[in-house]
Amino acid sequence: MIEARGVSKLYGRGVYALQDLTLRIDKGEFVFLTGPSGAGKSTLLRLLLRQDVPSEGEMIVGGRNLAALTGRQVQSYRRSLGFVFQDFKLLQAKTVLENVAFVPRVLGLAVAQQQRRTFQVLKWVGLQHRMNAYPRELSGGEQQRIAIARALVNDPVIILADEPTGNLDPDLSLEIMNLLREVNARGTTVLIATHDRELIRRVGRRSLTLDHGRIVEVS
Amino acid sequence: MRALTYFVTEAAGSLWRGRRAASLAILTIGAGLFVLGFFLIVNTNLQRLAARWGETAEFAIYLRDDVSAEQVESLSRLVHDSGVAARVDQVSKDQALERFRQDFPDLGATAERLNRNPFPASLDVRLRPGASRAEEAAEALAGTLAGSPGVADVRYDRRWLARLNGVVRFVRTVGLIIVGMLALAAALTVANVVRLAAHARRDEIEIMQLVGAPLTYIRGPLVLEGVMQGGAGAVVAIAALGALSALLRARYGGAISQVLGMESLTFLPVELSGILLLGGMLLGCIGGLMVARGVR
Ligand SMILES: Nc1ncnc2c1ncn2[C@@H]1O[C@H](COP(=O)(O)OP(=O)(O)OP(=O)(O)O)[C@@H](O)[C@H]1O
Ligand SMILES: [Mg+2]
Repeated sequence: MIEARGVSKLYGRGVYALQDLTLRIDKGEFVFLTGPSGAGKSTLLRLLLRQDVPSEGEMIVGGRNLAALTGRQVQSYRRSLGFVFQDFKLLQAKTVLENVAFVPRVLGLAVAQQQRRTFQVLKWVGLQHRMNAYPRELSGGEQQRIAIARALVNDPVIILADEPTGNLDPDLSLEIMNLLREVNARGTTVLIATHDRELIRRVGRRSLTLDHGRIVEVS
Repeated sequence: MRALTYFVTEAAGSLWRGRRAASLAILTIGAGLFVLGFFLIVNTNLQRLAARWGETAEFAIYLRDDVSAEQVESLSRLVHDSGVAARVDQVSKDQALERFRQDFPDLGATAERLNRNPFPASLDVRLRPGASRAEEAAEALAGTLAGSPGVADVRYDRRWLARLNGVVRFVRTVGLIIVGMLALAAALTVANVVRLAAHARRDEIEIMQLVGAPLTYIRGPLVLEGVMQGGAGAVVAIAALGALSALLRARYGGAISQVLGMESLTFLPVELSGILLLGGMLLGCIGGLMVARGVR
């Protein structure tokens, strides 16, 4: 599903955010990406979101070399992804419902379809009763569940999460992880970057540890 | 259709959120288009004036006293065939004397004392307004007629007409330059407002990019926002021009038409409003595109 072949990412002169990284994540896997600050976790996710391309090597996802995609192909590739960030990236001026429906809306889906999918995922994350609230009226955990609902609304093949629990306390973190595990149980590949080793231990899934842009440990 | 609905709601919402900055852009476009409209109106009226004056321009063929009816006939055919004349009036010697008496009542008595009518008969030509290359054609006609049998003299004074046409051209050039600069300023103002709007919506745009929304969905609302501002600016300009022309007509309408010898001035024809509206939307579109192009 996801393959990195000798990927390096160079920022400026001689600063390697990733260095000769080779990894493989199969379809349906649930993988943690961990390591100290500055190890290159976010950089790898940025390459996977095709916000950036490797300086050397190839990122292959679903058989496609991401660096070779045209603008239009990047758009259609991204439609197969769902993303979750530490800061939720919810639109403050929009309600919960509008935030989630925003994705099918800007992808040009019919209104009926927008509504149906939005209700489904909101129900699934258990927040359909807060759909008319604004993000600032929700707790951090609730906001992250909305963000997950938004990531799911387009029925992604892969979910990429960068420190999704970075702003949450341990109990809420586990709750979010359980949600993501459920998503994974339905066949979606999940890749989560976190430096929370305790959380990884409690969830107990495969983890790749990065340091200075290299994989130093696989467990 | 779905996309269009999306563009319109987003653009309108964004305009409403940034209504202070947007009003400034709308007023700038309005001012630019107001000046454009003003120049177009001045230009139209000057052209009408030039045409009107050209029409009444003195083109007179003075006939010899011994001219024959056939000669007069062939002269007026010559004038008709040239295509520059709208009308040819024959003025007999008696009519010329009568005209003189009317124009100069005090000198009428003097004329009375003359035992012989000194005024020649003439063919008074009314030039056709707006005929292309009318000046040169009239000039050529005057030359031909001067050498024709039965003609004593041809009077065609076009210097002042040329001067008026020069003024029209000058006003048009200056107007174009000023309007061009204002148009540029208006487009840049719109671009700035749209840039602000894009900045205010940067989170939204980021999400759109991340979820792989089509570029048209990202750029469409920005361009449309510019177009809407331009259209609103045009409406402002048209309203202001309408108010100004109503005011002028009410206050000075009579005086102006007397001085200029025109029954009515053209103030705000429908075509001009259309031009302003389209121009405003085009400017707004350019402003929007300047920003949208940078978003990918
Ligand atoms: N845009 C950039 N320009 C220059 N250097 C960058 C840029 N982005 C990241 N880096 C550098 O690349 C390295 C890896 O950064 P990255 O954000 O991937 O780390 P991380 O593992 O996500 O860290 P954290 O746990 O703090 O989020 C760091 O040394 C960082 O300073
Ligand atoms: Mg990071």
